[in-house]
Amino acid sequence: MSVPDYMQCAEDHQTVLVVVQPVGIVPEDQFFRIYKRIASVAQVSIRDSQRNLYIRYRHHYLPENNEWGDFQTHRKVVGLISVTTCGSAKEWPQTLDRFHGQKEVFGATLYDSRLLVFGLQGEIAEQQRTDVAFYSSYDDCPNVEKRVEDFVESIFIVLESKRLDRATDKSGDKIPLLCVPFEKKDFVGLDTDSRHYKKRCQGRMRKHVGDLCLQAGMLQDALVHYHMAVELLRSVNDFLWLGAALEGLCSASVIFHYPGGTAGGAAGRKPSLAQGQGQAADAGKRHRPGALTANGISADTSSEIGRAKNCLGPEDIIEKYKEAISYYGKYKNAGVIELEACVKAVRVLAIQKRAMEASEFLQNAVYINLGQLSEEEKIQRYSILSELYHLIGFHRKSAFFKRVAAMQCVAPTIPEPGWRACYKLLLETLPGYSLSLDPKDFSKGTHRGWAAVQMRLLHELVYASRRMGNPGLSVRHLSFLLQTMLDFLSDQEKKEVTQSLENYTSKCPGGMEVLTLPDGLKLPPVAFTKLPIIRSVKLLDLPVSLRPHKQKGLLENNMSTKSPFIYSPIIMHTRGEERNKNIEFQWVQGEVCEVQLMVYNPMPFELRVEHMGLLTSGVEFEALPAALFLPAESGLYPVTLVGVPRTAGNITVTGYHTSVFGVTSDCLLEGLPSVITSGCMVEVIPSLPRLQLSTSLPRSAHPLQPSKEELSSSVSVQLFNGETQHLTITLENIGSEDLETLEVASKTCNTKEKLFGEFLSWDLEEAVSQLPLKPGQSVTLTVNIKVRLDFSGGENLLQDLNDDGISVTGLPISSPLRQVLKPRAETKPLGSESSKTDYNHVKVGLTPLISPFLPYFL
Amino acid sequence: MEHTQSRDACWHSRHHSKMAVCIAVIAKENYPLYIRSVPVQNELKFHYTVHTSLDVVEEKISAVGKAMADQRELYLGLLYPTEDYKVYGYVTNSKVKFVIVVDSSNTSLRDNEIRSMFRKLHNSFTDVMCNPFYNPGDTIQSKAFDSMVSAMMVQAS
Repeated sequence: MSVPDYMQCAEDHQTVLVVVQPVGIVPEDQFFRIYKRIASVAQVSIRDSQRNLYIRYRHHYLPENNEWGDFQTHRKVVGLISVTTCGSAKEWPQTLDRFHGQKEVFGATLYDSRLLVFGLQGEIAEQQRTDVAFYSSYDDCPNVEKRVEDFVESIFIVLESKRLDRATDKSGDKIPLLCVPFEKKDFVGLDTDSRHYKKRCQGRMRKHVGDLCLQAGMLQDALVHYHMAVELLRSVNDFLWLGAALEGLCSASVIFHYPGGTAGGAAGRKPSLAQGQGQAADAGKRHRPGALTANGISADTSSEIGRAKNCLGPEDIIEKYKEAISYYGKYKNAGVIELEACVKAVRVLAIQKRAMEASEFLQNAVYINLGQLSEEEKIQRYSILSELYHLIGFHRKSAFFKRVAAMQCVAPTIPEPGWRACYKLLLETLPGYSLSLDPKDFSKGTHRGWAAVQMRLLHELVYASRRMGNPGLSVRHLSFLLQTMLDFLSDQEKKEVTQSLENYTSKCPGGMEVLTLPDGLKLPPVAFTKLPIIRSVKLLDLPVSLRPHKQKGLLENNMSTKSPFIYSPIIMHTRGEERNKNIEFQWVQGEVCEVQLMVYNPMPFELRVEHMGLLTSGVEFEALPAALFLPAESGLYPVTLVGVPRTAGNITVTGYHTSVFGVTSDCLLEGLPSVITSGCMVEVIPSLPRLQLSTSLPRSAHPLQPSKEELSSSVSVQLFNGETQHLTITLENIGSEDLETLEVASKTCNTKEKLFGEFLSWDLEEAVSQLPLKPGQSVTLTVNIKVRLDFSGGENLLQDLNDDGISVTGLPISSPLRQVLKPRAETKPLGSESSKTDYNHVKVGLTPLISPFLPYFL
Repeated sequence: MEHTQSRDACWHSRHHSKMAVCIAVIAKENYPLYIRSVPVQNELKFHYTVHTSLDVVEEKISAVGKAMADQRELYLGLLYPTEDYKVYGYVTNSKVKFVIVVDSSNTSLRDNEIRSMFRKLHNSFTDVMCNPFYNPGDTIQSKAFDSMVSAMMVQAS
């Protein structure tokens, strides 16, 4: 027997084994449908007695396993159900022959068999044979289950007869020696008359009878027989069978103590259709009909040996299992039996919640040598070990063995490595190492888990997905590695990882979509928030010449009716919202707006960031991407990202978007708590017209320094008192909006207004008549500068003029000679600036106020 | 599993008595604060060994903890034997774990020797914690701790 049955549990010892096989060619799905229906009859209550029979079904069973049937009766095939499709009467004899042939294979141990024929109609189908059932088609076979029950009952009859036969056998004479396959040669030529030999035969037979009792649903009797067998076999040191007897004892006790089964979830034994109830425990307690005789064992076993002695207590079960396994361990050919016994014991311990001892059993199980195992078998073995460790709660060990199983799937000796299976198994190991595939789990706090081990695992995932032929997955996993383990990678490793990433992304660029695997698992997107690391985000105001200004006249409207109270002593603080508090300035639709980021590069080599742009919400925003080259391990480096809002409203900068090493990431600011920002939301006002002013006079050589908020440019002109000069101001609409209103005001920026009087005059009529000014059009305004200083005041005038810094040249005051004044008049514009709103502060000057139609803002 | 004493084992033990092949300090949250092994190339294997032994450590802590938490002994004893190594564990009251891995062939190493190794580790660790510049949760960089551990490790041949 080479293949262990890992799913076997202690309670399987009370089942009888029935094999369901196809004869000839049967469509697979049809076969399995029938198989499922047959297998649903797992428990049958026998008529006229209160016992239950449990059945195990297999659709594939190696005949060599049958040879161990004497050792443990649940291993031998006692029933055969063959399923076949037969289209016509001509094929019938052939089919029948094949059926008989199948019976031969298991012939030695078979109690009974049945043939289910589908698709045959006519005369042959009308035959009433007990061993053959005819159905017209796979869909029309209503009483399959009933047939199976009848079949099981017939098996039971045979079982009972065998049991009684063995149990009532005359002692002493001619008890045959039961053997396991590898023992047969050991007993050739032994003296069959020695007491030693006879005791051995007796002991083994007693154990066999115990097995039969267990299968027949007689728990108490089985216990008695097992106890006796143990004593007999111990006295002759027949270790292998002693182990089997002990194991039988354990199985019976487990069935008694744990009626729910030890299979851990899988085992819901469905009661048969005939009768609803029936648990082994109850059945075992009731008094047995049927008598045993002659060789000293009376029928009423409960009276002979005290009830308490029969069943083992829970701790004893484990002790006996240990003992049995140690006996099995002496025989290298019994490796499979030993392994199965370990697995059964572990399942019992898992129910008893004794994880430490279970782990000891499992530790032992790892080292049982089963001879040469095929790769498939090795994989199965490690997978089962992993599951059992998981059952007892040792998740790390479970993950470890699963990983070993995954590696085994792609061992070099396998001709066609199963990369898909390997990948799947590796994914299942992740929870055991505290790894998840969601980068959000790793963004806060200290790193979870063992970094070195996790990195190894991620590398293996990458490799497996690459070999599997899915480069997108490799890119995703490698990005995950880079993002979450950046702090743990050495410089050399950083270089290697980024190089392989670039390699993979050249074939398959990485992105922010959720990858879904065929079995439904979703891989969340990985954004590179550390390449580069953003320290702060600052929204910048527009350049001075482009800033909008509020129209003063409408200010009252804006002190809006937020609340009906004019004054309230309670001041409500609005906490929080620091990030979203409105910034004082505004942006304008259609203009290039800037955001400044301070970044730095954590990598030991130059970082190329392509397509770095802003992510915004609330307003249509056309981001103009930038490309960066950050030097290795740079300090804080300023980066300005620009874009143009295309509609008006409130715009929020939600994050940024980069393309690094071929992987695009969208990083949201809310996921980056360490970023400093003074506000992310800004109001975007609709487009405003843009105006360019130019004058006919030359630019001043000594421009006055305007205050920061104001735009100005200077024009200077030298005039004699009484002279008139014309200044032509040309206003050109260089924006895309119409210019609706135009106001011009003059302001003298020193205090001596009275001195100079009004020396500027202009006529707006003509200019206003040309409004609204369409884009591209221009309007001219003529300003007359006429200097009229009144010198009749005498000394005071000159003194005042002097104080103002206005130079007066000439002769002493009393002289009636000419005086030259140099007023300095400034007006704006000189082609170089274009302004939205002209708020010109003119020293002695001109302040045109220009606005479009929109009354709201300027 | 029985270990039979062979001549080779004797020779081995004379050279490597009182020596470990891997020593690890694990934080309460089950990530490593310090891990050193000899030989250095195969460190990942020891990472795995120590990582899986945490299952057993947790089991042992939880098993005893319910009844008499304050009386739980710090020394956990042999966690599990593998073919090549034996793994021992020790847990402090603040749930920091020490794990020592020794060679299986090193049979002369007795229980009290292992206990004394743990005691030394614990004392050194306490010193590390007393350092005001050490943040609990950081990896251990202390040279004094390093040299104490080196004294306990097998000399790389």
